[in-house]
Amino acid sequence: MTVAAPALATPAASRRAFAFDSTWLIWIAIIAVLLFLVVSPFVYLVVTSFTAERTGEFTLSNYAAAYGRSRYVDALLNSLKLGASAAALAGLFAVPLAWAVARTDMPGRGLTRMLVLATFITPPYTGAVAWILLAGPNAGWLNRFYVFLTGAESGPFDIYSFPGLALVVALYSFPYIFIFTTAALELVSSEMEDAANILGAGAWRTMRRVTLPLALPAILGGLIICFLEAIALFGSPAMIAIPARFNVVTTQLFQFFGNPVRVEVAAAYAMPLLGVTILLILIQRLLTRRKGFVALTGKGGERRPIRLGRWRWAVFGYAMFVAALSVFLPYLFLLQAAFSKAWGRGFSLDNLSFRNLHFVLFEHATAAQSVINSFLYGAASATAVVILTLGVAYIVTRRLVPFGGALGFLCIAPFVIPGIVLAIGFYAAYAPPPLALYGTALILILAFTTRFLPIGYVNASAAIRSLNPEMEEAVRVLGGSRLTALRRVVAPLLKRNLLGAWLLIFIPATRELSAAIFLYGPNTKVASVMIFDMSEEGNFEYLAALALILQVLTLPLLWIGQKALGRDFMLRRSAT
Amino acid sequence: MSKLVLKNVARRYGSFEVVAGFSLELVPGEFVSLLGPSGCGKTTTLRMIAGFAPPSSGTIEMDGQVISSPSTVVPPEKRRMSMIFQSYAIWPNMTVGENVAFGLQVRKLSRAEIDRRVDKILDVVQMRGLKGRYPAELSGGQQQRVALARAIVVEPEVLLLDEPLSNLDANLREEMRFEIRRLHDEFKITTVYVTHDQSEAMVTSDRIVVMNHGRIEQIDAPHRLYARPKSRFVAGFIGRTNFLEATREAGEVRFDGFSAAAGRVEGAETSGSLLYSLRPQAIGLAMARPNGGSLAVEAEIAGRSYLGEYWDYQVRPLAGARPLRVSTGPNAVFEIGSRVWLEIDPAAMVRVE
Amino acid sequence: MKRWASLAAAAALFLAPAARADIKALAEAAKNEGEITWYVAHYTSEGAEDLGRGFTEMYGVKVNVVRTTAQVAYQRLLQDMKNNQTNCDVFSSTDVGHYVRLAAEGQFLKYTPETESKIVPAFRNFDPGGYYHTTSAGLIALTYNTSKVKPEEAPKKWQDLLDIKWKGKVSTGHPGFSGYVGTWVLMMKKLYGWEYFEKLEKNKPQIGRSINDTVTALNAGERLVAAGAEGSTLFSAARGNPLAVSYPTDGSVLIIAPSAIMKGTKHPNAAKLFMEYLYSVEAAKINAKHFAIPLRPEVPSPPGAKPVGEIKTIRPTVAEIDKGIPEVIEQWRDTFGN
Repeated sequence: MTVAAPALATPAASRRAFAFDSTWLIWIAIIAVLLFLVVSPFVYLVVTSFTAERTGEFTLSNYAAAYGRSRYVDALLNSLKLGASAAALAGLFAVPLAWAVARTDMPGRGLTRMLVLATFITPPYTGAVAWILLAGPNAGWLNRFYVFLTGAESGPFDIYSFPGLALVVALYSFPYIFIFTTAALELVSSEMEDAANILGAGAWRTMRRVTLPLALPAILGGLIICFLEAIALFGSPAMIAIPARFNVVTTQLFQFFGNPVRVEVAAAYAMPLLGVTILLILIQRLLTRRKGFVALTGKGGERRPIRLGRWRWAVFGYAMFVAALSVFLPYLFLLQAAFSKAWGRGFSLDNLSFRNLHFVLFEHATAAQSVINSFLYGAASATAVVILTLGVAYIVTRRLVPFGGALGFLCIAPFVIPGIVLAIGFYAAYAPPPLALYGTALILILAFTTRFLPIGYVNASAAIRSLNPEMEEAVRVLGGSRLTALRRVVAPLLKRNLLGAWLLIFIPATRELSAAIFLYGPNTKVASVMIFDMSEEGNFEYLAALALILQVLTLPLLWIGQKALGRDFMLRRSAT
Repeated sequence: MSKLVLKNVARRYGSFEVVAGFSLELVPGEFVSLLGPSGCGKTTTLRMIAGFAPPSSGTIEMDGQVISSPSTVVPPEKRRMSMIFQSYAIWPNMTVGENVAFGLQVRKLSRAEIDRRVDKILDVVQMRGLKGRYPAELSGGQQQRVALARAIVVEPEVLLLDEPLSNLDANLREEMRFEIRRLHDEFKITTVYVTHDQSEAMVTSDRIVVMNHGRIEQIDAPHRLYARPKSRFVAGFIGRTNFLEATREAGEVRFDGFSAAAGRVEGAETSGSLLYSLRPQAIGLAMARPNGGSLAVEAEIAGRSYLGEYWDYQVRPLAGARPLRVSTGPNAVFEIGSRVWLEIDPAAMVRVE
Repeated sequence: MKRWASLAAAAALFLAPAARADIKALAEAAKNEGEITWYVAHYTSEGAEDLGRGFTEMYGVKVNVVRTTAQVAYQRLLQDMKNNQTNCDVFSSTDVGHYVRLAAEGQFLKYTPETESKIVPAFRNFDPGGYYHTTSAGLIALTYNTSKVKPEEAPKKWQDLLDIKWKGKVSTGHPGFSGYVGTWVLMMKKLYGWEYFEKLEKNKPQIGRSINDTVTALNAGERLVAAGAEGSTLFSAARGNPLAVSYPTDGSVLIIAPSAIMKGTKHPNAAKLFMEYLYSVEAAKINAKHFAIPLRPEVPSPPGAKPVGEIKTIRPTVAEIDKGIPEVIEQWRDTFGN
């Protein structure tokens, strides 16, 4: 056999070299954008916390002011307490459900997944509103029902309390733990369990000694994420904690942006929150990265569900109980409020009214506009994230630049910054001149983009890693640049994945409150802020109408997502 | 008294039959392989024996008791069997020692007894020094040994192995084949071994069940399977062979390029077209015409490949069209185109369906 | 023609800096400007939207209604100023202290609406400097849920809210948000000292944000009695809700809330026109519809509300409000926990 000498077509080579150069410009642009979005606000945040307000010189007085009053320190402690209780409670809701859905023959598993999804797309502040209707100490429906049943003076439930807030936060963040737990359980190969079975271990012992220990690191990781969510929330604490007369960090930060605006003190005050978040994320990573705990999935054959026998209905009952708390009751009473003249007057025909919907949609100019804004800004940021993270993931996975890992880190870093702190950073960095983005739609879109970079990056990175690089090499051998390969091979192959990522970002972006609360201007109000403002007037009928409109508008998106990506596309977690 | 009896076991998914009409009896201490290409149903059969899946029809009995039938299945945890999985399924959250001790703990032995047995078995598989290690710290071969130890220490009634060596590299595979057979001989456990690799099956087994498309092709000891395959599939799957078409006319069996008296060739009673398998090693190759009882056929070397341990020749009988494959030792060198003589013993030709 | 008209209007404005302008010319110029942004705390969302719509119907100029509580509106304004941006054209807060400070800093455009001479005398000339003018007035009174509380049982004076029988049944807003509530707190402190609130704390009131939170709390039956806004309460009652007002014998707190035009406004004519509009009969009618006190004598008080002249009213002085509200906000936070 003779080997033909390769004919180097010189024109092609120089063409490739030129294309390589212009591609480099794009990579540099992407890196610059990342620095702008992530590094700069963070740096501004830290610097601002050490800057005196009027003089601009270095000072520690902000920290002294921020932690000087015991009320402020209490708020921080309250946040930590809230995070811990909400995470624990959410774990109680999520883990049994996840195990039942992923590993057993409980009836209604598909239904349960749907209900968890419904919970997931409910913004926590909407849930808070619903629970105010349900458990207000005197007029809440649960209390009324209790009084009706027992003839007591008043009911035992008071949503305006620490346990009340913890419950609401837990109810709307337990899906995170659910997702982590089901993912972990599904990664435990069934051979691991079969091996225990054949050696004599029954279903429960196998679960105890094999399945749960293997899934435990991921479950703990989920609990930590839940904790971080809880301490970063703004909407539900603002609605519940203020009447309940305690403060958490986020509501206290809101006060620092009050009268007068004290960005410097706010920045200083936010630092411990940032510190706690970073610490816990590091722990979470350590937990889920432990070698060998992601078991090999062998052939497996059919995964055999655990037979629950008599216990099937009890477990199903628990699942429906949790769903009642997070979906059935809240939505029922949100609907009631949305369609009534005064929600307190109950379910009577003369209380029925479409006024609220009409007012919100047609009369209240800002409300209708705010929904449009939410969708516009959400779409813009989702698009920006998907494109940007695809580029970065590509650069990093294909090792196009040295220290690519740092880029990946930058994409993930915003994860550790609570939304409200991110907003303060953006405010400090970009609201004033020279950029003067104060009150513009752009600053909101930028903040959302940064906030959702981690999700986009994790998705894009996993997707690109799943592609065989030889396909792109084939393009390059034939004379195309990397950019051509990216455009014509990688992106089309990843179409569905990109769509999924887009939706995964778009849907939460339309509900984002904590990042928006400081950055919106009179013309750029989004629906979440609108709902929050309306709660200020306590006008629950309009509130419920607006919240329901927002939910209903999300349904078509969900439908698209499910059609394109499978029924549980929002509940699946890509490997981190 | 048979240890394990499968009576006409079948497994269907809808109208698709994964396994059909599977009947097999194992005597205590026997080592049987289920051999076949992927998709032939061997793993499914193994999982039915283990109790992970019920048979769609037929029964499985152990020691005279029915353990699997379409309506009732004794669950795997109650069968007192052991299984080794393709992925080994060593639990990463437990040490080597804890893995091996698991089955004994389920059987509620005393801690002292458990320790004693675990140490003993780890000695046998030469893993004693690694008792405290975690699986992530072990190589593939070491994990394999842990799986073996874990399975054997509980003294199972039946040991099941599902392609345990396919994740190992070639050298390790050879070594572990012998190891598995050695352990079997030492402990005399009734064993069912699933593999697609015929050399594995041949080295380890007392009998081999060759499967194809869910059905049994042939059950026999390895050498009989090789020497006397009953079907075309078995002949082609086990080792290499020449397939010879022949027709019976008058008192002769005519092959392509030579013929033999009908009485000397087995299975030539019926007339019409027949198919025979003839192993390449069963054909002699020489420059001079052989004398003796075998058929002598003049032929020409059409092609050759040297494989170190043997030569693989394509030799075409002068009177025929298609060449035969012939294996010789490494020192029998023939040039392409040279005239040679083939020596064929008609008794070595096996009639296949 | 149009261009001449706007030039003429501009000239007229230029020539009369203290700004009394011909409404028609103003309307033309305003239409060219197209829109104004209104930071308003004076009314409920509905009331504010109604007023905005009324203006648009009359003059074809769009109104961006940004309705929040007073302190939040002020916060927004300060942020705007800190970033050297003027988003707000007309500022309507219920905390008089805001105006004192902002006027001192020269943040307002001096303009006295021509129609000021036509409003109820009591509300005229609020600011001698001419920078801000009363555009809304309301009362804070005792309010209660009529389906649970009989008129005889209802509280009759402010001290009644401290009665143990109302423990867990009282509703208020939060002075840190609402100018109305801030003024009320200041007034109570003036009359009864801060002990009033230490005692109120023991009654565990439900604290919302806006004073209009009390309406929702009472409507829902969540709370039974409140220190509420007479206007929004009566408005809600007129819709069929079980609410009523009990005018306290020791005086309802009269809130006089001004509006002003921001100095850097990009829509000066529209803003001025809007100030004129707020004094118009049409605006007064809309106010009456929402049970706010109408500023024009031609427009009668809404049915069910007692005319202002017939009620005992009390109010703190402007100086007291300016200094006092930030103080009581801090005291409130200390007493009530946040």
